[in-house]
Amino acid sequence: MSYVLAKSQNDDIHKAGECGGAVTSILKYLLDEEIVDGVLALSPQNDVYDATPTFITESDDLLSAAGSYHCAPTMIGDLVQKYLFDKKVAITVKPCDMRAVEELIIRHKINRDNIYLIGLNCGGTVSPVSGRKMIDLFYEADPDDVVSEEIDKGKFIIELADGSEEAVKIHDLEEEGYGRRNNCQRCDVKIPRKANIACGNWGAEDGWTFIEINDEKGQELIDGAKKAGILETKNPAQGAIDGREKVEGIMIKMAKKVQDATYPTVSEMDEWSRCISCYACRDVCPICWCFENCELNKPYFKDEQNIPPTPIAFQGVRLSHMSFSCVDCGQCDDVCPMDIPVSLIFDKLQKKYFNRTGYVAGVSDDIKPPLYSPEKTEL
Amino acid sequence: MADDLKIVGLLCNWCCYGGADTAGTARMQYSPNIRIIRVMCSGRINPSMIFKAFQDGADGVFVGGCHIGDCHYDAGNYKWSRRSKIVEDILEEFGIEKERFRHEWISASEGEKFQKTMEEFHNTLTKLGPLEL
Ligand SMILES: Cc1cc2nc3c(=O)[nH]c(=O)nc-3n(C[C@H](O)[C@H](O)[C@H](O)COP(=O)(O)OP(=O)(O)OC[C@H]3O[C@@H](n4cnc5c(N)ncnc54)[C@H](O)[C@@H]3O)c2cc1C
Ligand code: SF4
Ligand code: SF4
Ligand code: SF4
Ligand code: FES
Repeated sequence: MSYVLAKSQNDDIHKAGECGGAVTSILKYLLDEEIVDGVLALSPQNDVYDATPTFITESDDLLSAAGSYHCAPTMIGDLVQKYLFDKKVAITVKPCDMRAVEELIIRHKINRDNIYLIGLNCGGTVSPVSGRKMIDLFYEADPDDVVSEEIDKGKFIIELADGSEEAVKIHDLEEEGYGRRNNCQRCDVKIPRKANIACGNWGAEDGWTFIEINDEKGQELIDGAKKAGILETKNPAQGAIDGREKVEGIMIKMAKKVQDATYPTVSEMDEWSRCISCYACRDVCPICWCFENCELNKPYFKDEQNIPPTPIAFQGVRLSHMSFSCVDCGQCDDVCPMDIPVSLIFDKLQKKYFNRTGYVAGVSDDIKPPLYSPEKTEL
Repeated sequence: MADDLKIVGLLCNWCCYGGADTAGTARMQYSPNIRIIRVMCSGRINPSMIFKAFQDGADGVFVGGCHIGDCHYDAGNYKWSRRSKIVEDILEEFGIEKERFRHEWISASEGEKFQKTMEEFHNTLTKLGPLEL
C-alpha cells in the first residue's frame, strides 16, 4: 500500500474533475489504450439530482461524467453481474459498490480478472428527493437553480448558476431529518481498500486527488496513466497522510455512534407489519442474485393471500440467505413503498454476525468461515 | 394445552435418527409431541426449514445431528452448527423465543440422551405455551 497525489495533465479534465481529475484521466487511459471495453461511471442527466450509471465506450464522453454526484445513491454491483459479466470494464465505486462487487465475486457472479475498481472515498450520499426538499427548506435557493453540489469539511455546499455558493452544516441538516441517507450515516467503511485504488479529497491539496494504491493492479494503473502522459503525481506530505487518517477515524467513530443509537431502537415486528410483499427490496438488493430461483417464489413459501406476509417466512428467509453479506447500501430502504427501514434491520444482523465471526461484508478476506464454507470450526 | 404442542424434529439419518430409534426399541417413554423428519445430514438443514416449520404451526423445532467429528459426510455438522447461530440471531428479532429452537448432537447409541432431550424440550415448551406468530 502506498499514497500519491495525482492530477490530470489534460486541462479540460482537470477543470471538469472533482479534485485533480485523476479518476477521469485514468479512465481515459484505460479506454484509449483499449485495456478495457468500457467504463461504468455516473453521468448527470437533466440536473444534479439524477446522475445515472452509464456505460461509456468513447473517451470523449468521459468529460461529462467527471465530478462527484452526492445526490445519486446508485448501486452498480448488480449491473456488472447482469450486463457486463464478459466485458473488461473499469468501474468507479463507492465503498458500498465495492463491497457488493466483492460479495458477488465470492459468489462467482463477477469475474475479478475482468474488472478494474477505481474506488472513491465516501462520506455519504443524499437521496435526490430529500435533497431537493432540504435545499428548498434550508437554503435561499430554488433546487432547480443548483448547478453543482459538493460535500466539504462537514458542509453540504451548493453552487448556483451565477457562481454564488451556499453551505449548511450536515450535522444541522441531519438533526432535522435531512442530509445523508440513514444507512450512510451509520456506514463505517469510508475508504474502499478492496478497490485497486482509493481516491478522494481527504489529504489532497487543491486541484489534486489523493490516491491510496491498494494493490499491484492499482500501481499499474497509475504507472500506465503516467506513461501515457495524462497523469502527473507527487508524494503527499506526511501531515496530509496523517490528516486523512484522522478524518477517516472521526467519520468511523461518528458512524459507530449512530449504529449504537439506532440498532436497539428498531422494532422489527412493528416494521414488518406494514410490509405488502412487493418484493422490491429483494429485487433491488445487489447481494440477492437468485432472481427466478429465489426461495421466496417457491410454492412452499409463496403466499399471495397473506398480507402482511408472516415475517419469519418472508423477511426471515431473506435474512437467513444473505444478511451476513449485507453491505448496507440502503437500496432496499430507497425502494420500499411502506418506508420500512429494511437496510437497518439487515445491517443490524450483519453486525451481529460480525460480532460472532469478525466477518465484514465485502471487506474481509474471508478471515472466518462464512456460513456455507466447509471449514471445520464452530462459532 | 401442553398435549397439543407441536414439535418438529429434523434428525440426521446416521446418528440422531438412530438415537430416536434406539429410544423407541428400548421403549423409553417421552412425550409424543415430536414429528420427526429424517434428513441425510444436519448439514442439509437450512434456516428456511426451521422458519417454515414455525410458520406452519410448530411450537418448537429440534435439530439432531452426529457428534462433532462423527458426521458421515465429514463436515456437515460443522456447517449446521454455524448456521444454527444465524437462526438464533434471526429468531430473536422475530419475537420467537430462542428456547423454542434447540439442537443437540446425539449418536445412534444414545437412546437415553434422545429421551432426556425430548423431555426437557417438551417441558420448556410447556412453560412457554403455544407459539403465536
Ligand atoms: C458520493 C461521494 C462522496 C464522497 N465523499 C468523499 C469524502 O468524504 N472524502 C473523500 O476524500 N473523498 C470523497 N469522495 C471522492 C471525491 O469527491 C472524488 O470523487 C475523488 O477525489 C476523485 O476525484 P477526481 O477529480 O480524481 O475524480 P473525477 O475525475 O471527477 O472522476 C470522478 C468519477 O466518479 C464518478 N462518480 C461520481 N459520482 C459517483 C457516484 N456517486 N458513484 C459512483 N461513481 C461516481 C464520475 O462519473 C467520474 O467518472 C466522494 C465521492 C462521491 C461520489
Ligand atoms: S453506504 Fe457508505 S459507501 Fe455507500 S453511499 Fe452511503 S456512505 Fe457512501
Ligand atoms: S439488504 Fe438492503 S442494504 Fe443490505 S445489501 Fe441488500 S439492498 Fe443493500
Ligand atoms: S419493499 Fe417494503 S413492502 Fe416491499 S417487500 Fe420489501 S419490506 Fe415489504
Ligand atoms: S451425517 Fe449426521 S450430521 Fe452429518
